[in-house]
Amino acid sequence: MKPLALLLALVFFVLGALYGLGTINFMTKSGTEHAHHVSHLVICWVLALLCLIWYRFQSAPTR
Amino acid sequence: MTDIQALILALLQGVSELFPVSSLGHTILVPALLHWTNIDRANPTFLAFVVVLHLGTAVALIVYYRARWWAIVRALVASVVRGRLSDDRDERIGWLLVVGTIPVGVLGVLFEEPVRALFGSPAPAALFLAANGLVMFAGEALRRRQLANPARADRPIEHLSFAQSVLVGFAQSFALLPGISRSGASMVAGLLCDLDHEDAAEFSFLLATPVIFAAALLETRYLMAPGAHVVLLQALLGGVVAAVAAYVSVAFLMRYFKSNDLRPFGWYCLIVGVCCYILSKRGLLS
Repeated sequence: MKPLALLLALVFFVLGALYGLGTINFMTKSGTEHAHHVSHLVICWVLALLCLIWYRFQSAPTR
Repeated sequence: MTDIQALILALLQGVSELFPVSSLGHTILVPALLHWTNIDRANPTFLAFVVVLHLGTAVALIVYYRARWWAIVRALVASVVRGRLSDDRDERIGWLLVVGTIPVGVLGVLFEEPVRALFGSPAPAALFLAANGLVMFAGEALRRRQLANPARADRPIEHLSFAQSVLVGFAQSFALLPGISRSGASMVAGLLCDLDHEDAAEFSFLLATPVIFAAALLETRYLMAPGAHVVLLQALLGGVVAAVAAYVSVAFLMRYFKSNDLRPFGWYCLIVGVCCYILSKRGLLS
């Protein structure tokens, strides 16, 4: 599961960056792109962070 | 927007955000009932006002549960540093809240705008409010059936599974529909996961706090909108009123759910929803 956690973290990070740059507009409302892209960027990066925490839980040495 | 309107909306937000009666539904239906045609819900200055009301509500929840949140955040940080999950109660609840917040976070960002564009008028809000009442009746009926089964027993919040937490979080996302209550939907889901009313309410309020707070923070851009300073005083006053109302509401509800259930709120939603729907069909809501 460790590679999956890292892969998902990377995917969400890149997805967030693409939303932030305005490269993708999937499920955003046209006309107010900037604000909506910020929301999408934040949620993607939060998910990326959670995937990294998931990775951390699998990587730490056991007792 | 007049000062009186601002105060009424602030009070309404603070109370109805936490009572299982849908704040969004009420902020659509009450102005329509009172024919407040001067309020433009899409106006950036009104949105700035709403942002402050939400911040006030979130702050009230954080203050009410300050000791719990402090313990949860410390336990979460400690578990990340350690790299292992432990049996600590606060840590377990913290991760349940994190996992339960994901569905509403993702669905909220993706679907909030289209859902509000589709259903953000009085008639659908009234129908969903009535449906919210029926959901609470159904939840209570299923809960009574569970209690009749001697093999099942109530469990504390920390004994929820992560899948059940996702289920409660997913139920919370139905509150994107105007008229469906965030706390009502998540409480019903909590009851069906064998929480008692008090724990279901507490988990619902804890789960709602980061969502309300994050949603308000993401909308703070409206505070910088041209003309937003015009409503600054109203917004600040409204934020304080919403915070006080929310604090009193959560304190009341936590006492109420020690020995009572959701049915009175179900009746309220059903009756008000049906009445408002009839009024909207007769053109009496503006």
